[in-house]
Amino acid sequence: MRNYAIRRSFTVIPVLLGVSVLVFSFIHMIPGDPASVMLGEKATPERADAVRKQLGLDRPIAEQYLLYIGKVVRGDLGVSIVRGDPVLPDILRRFPATVELAVTAIMLALLAGVPIGIVSAVWRGSVVDSFARVWALVGVSMPIFWLGLMLAWIFGVELRWLPTGFRMEAGTSFQPITNFVILDTVLERDWAALVDALRHLVLPSVALATIPLAVIARMTRASMLETLSRDYIRTAQAKGLSGRVVVLHHALGNALLPVLTVIGLQVGSLLAGAILTETIFSWPGIGRWVYESIGSRDYAIVQGASLFIAVIVVVVNMLTDLLYAAVDPRIKYD
Amino acid sequence: MRLTRTLLLVAAALLVGSLVGWASPVLAQNFVFGTQGEPISLDTALIQDGVSQKITSQIYNTLVKYKGATTEVEADLAEKWEVSADGKVWTLHIRKGVKFHDGEPCDAAAIVWNFERWWKANHPQHENQIKAGQTFPYWEDQFDGFDDKSIVSKVEAADPYTVKVTLKQPQAPFLANLAIFAFGIASPKAVEKWGVEYGKHPVGTGAFKFVEWKPNQEVVLDANPDYFGQKAKVKRVVVRNIKDNSARLAALKAGEVHAIEGLNIDDIKVVKADPNVYLVLRPANNTAYLAFNFHVKEFQNKLVRQAIAHAINRKAIVDAFYGGLGLVAKELQPPALWGYNKDIKDHEYDPKKAQDLLKQAGFPNGFSEITWEDGKKEPLVFWYMPVTRPYYPSPKEIGEAMAADLAKVGIKSQLQTVEWANYIDKTKKGEMPLYMVGWTGDNGDPDNFVCFFFCPTNVPRQAWYNNPPLSDVLKRAATLTNQAERTKLYQQAEQMLHDDVARLFVANSQVALVFSKKVKGYVANPTATEFFNTVDVQ
Repeated sequence: MRNYAIRRSFTVIPVLLGVSVLVFSFIHMIPGDPASVMLGEKATPERADAVRKQLGLDRPIAEQYLLYIGKVVRGDLGVSIVRGDPVLPDILRRFPATVELAVTAIMLALLAGVPIGIVSAVWRGSVVDSFARVWALVGVSMPIFWLGLMLAWIFGVELRWLPTGFRMEAGTSFQPITNFVILDTVLERDWAALVDALRHLVLPSVALATIPLAVIARMTRASMLETLSRDYIRTAQAKGLSGRVVVLHHALGNALLPVLTVIGLQVGSLLAGAILTETIFSWPGIGRWVYESIGSRDYAIVQGASLFIAVIVVVVNMLTDLLYAAVDPRIKYD
Repeated sequence: MRLTRTLLLVAAALLVGSLVGWASPVLAQNFVFGTQGEPISLDTALIQDGVSQKITSQIYNTLVKYKGATTEVEADLAEKWEVSADGKVWTLHIRKGVKFHDGEPCDAAAIVWNFERWWKANHPQHENQIKAGQTFPYWEDQFDGFDDKSIVSKVEAADPYTVKVTLKQPQAPFLANLAIFAFGIASPKAVEKWGVEYGKHPVGTGAFKFVEWKPNQEVVLDANPDYFGQKAKVKRVVVRNIKDNSARLAALKAGEVHAIEGLNIDDIKVVKADPNVYLVLRPANNTAYLAFNFHVKEFQNKLVRQAIAHAINRKAIVDAFYGGLGLVAKELQPPALWGYNKDIKDHEYDPKKAQDLLKQAGFPNGFSEITWEDGKKEPLVFWYMPVTRPYYPSPKEIGEAMAADLAKVGIKSQLQTVEWANYIDKTKKGEMPLYMVGWTGDNGDPDNFVCFFFCPTNVPRQAWYNNPPLSDVLKRAATLTNQAERTKLYQQAEQMLHDDVARLFVANSQVALVFSKKVKGYVANPTATEFFNTVDVQ
């Protein structure tokens, strides 16, 4: 197991190098020049040239890449082209917002997706099953952007139950410590702020949870159906155990193993989905920041944040693999 | 078991109920403004973007400012001023007893310090910004560059409350330039304290003091109780960054913000139908146009340009695409500017006349191919902008409409676009034969519209248009300080542009701001330099 973990960790390095090359070349391939974007429509070509030179954008692209990667290895993700701020501290400041949203979303997806999957499988072919399957399909194919706007419109504008965006009330004097606002409100025992933060969390996390929820529900259903047809389940039923005990105690544990993999894989799509959700709900996380930075051709931010997100995805997937072995004694890595 | 479950259900219901029922109207005495993005910096000398400007206009005062909804200037930090007979020496008398938010005095010495920072590349607080990749764009544009290149030759404090600015030659829009937000006066002590980080800790003399900037969320300002001018009616201002247009409108309708700008044209109907909000139109300070590349032989022929001007039905375009915010433009300056020429008779829409003109020009059947000056032939490409701007709210559809009008008289083109940064690059290099773009003014002075484009001759960014007599008129206007004389020259310049069909001016667009009915007293200015101290929230 330990050997596997070490070997598995080493595979991360080429993956990240690959990501860095891809991100670097993609953003340089998008037409448009950061100097022009920075200086606006009214800049003279001379000034744009000067800025390009200053940013090192006049050098060959391979040289730019090597310079960049050299710094990355030393923990320096560069400085924002537009604002001149170092990228890494900015990532770390925004990341808690994204984590808070993504974790809430995945929890919602699990809490709703697994029971829906179980119910669908147990009452296969019933109205509940058909309904759940249609909803799962709709969920997977629903554009988050549209869903987010609809949620904001219905629950924010028409019903006025929940805020349409942000993490807290405008102009609040609450000062976060860790930037995990929910955690901070608890640490500071500011219950009004906690309620405020929770209210702001509802709509974006529901929007972001939709796709993983649908995927988890479908996966749970398929996996549950397979498990329920196994011999040992029939044995358990033959022994006269109640349906609930058979499903929850005997089948569910095994059925959830593949779901675990899916959750690991969903982390990537959650972070990708966060770009849209954060933009619609003005959520101050990494996703929206990257979206805005692409518009302003802020290479340093887009590269730094992409690399950071890649690290997270790769590490989470690695952990999922290891966790798999931990929960399933049948699996050995040698 | 059953009891636990019931208790859990009750708890969950209570939680949901309290979350949903918790009323969250924005706090009274706060004014919350929803903007289209994140400010770049609050160091007003460095910025060009509208969002930063919206905030810095509240924090800083300029020496003079635009009066109400006009582009005329009035006193701000300078109470009064005079100019020498030769137009080269401006004497500005500074208001006494004004203090920065950090308690430092705002006197002639502080103002001279600000001028030197903007102007001199070796000023420590200028040099450090350049090294950090920043620049002082408005100073460079409005005062012709830095150090010896600048039109400014000397700035001195004649006494503690008098500043003298000496110019190398008269500059007509001098005061209008000083009213630009970029020339807000910053506390020298604060700038020195924070260095390149000053843009996150701005200190001015304005009606609001900076409190906090939460990245990607909001900037918070509090009313300055010691403000020398009209004191703010609200206690706190929050400028929130809501990137998406629809989400911003939703926030307004949900009562979470009091005002927004940046509206999808289609949403104007929604706004007009909502009894809880109202529209404020900022007078047009922009002009959309269609530019001809003068390296294309066909467009060198004035008859062809005239034909195009008569072929395109601009009124129909304005009616169809501007949501009631547009005006048909007949000259480069929008009507709100004082150099606008009311007497110019616009090219009327007349396809028959366009066809006759094409015939006279030697294209009885129109054309679909162009010839560049170097002899290269290629199909005519009509470039439309990939992004919307107030002056072109739906560039693709407008481009299609114009191209369809042209096709009706025989000028057949292929519509094309590229990503915006690349598009701008192409305009600067003079590469596109026929393209849509526009201009938004900075200082409300005609010079800023007409001279920016037509003082230089035969340059790529103006698609190689070359008209030395026009350039002479404009350069002369730029050196006079008498507004009546200048007005005549700008009107003459507009007439010359019109007669030569140097470009086809398409539309001016007013900018829509939307307010909650609870808000009163917002004054929209064509330059977008607007002040929140007049705003009241009920």
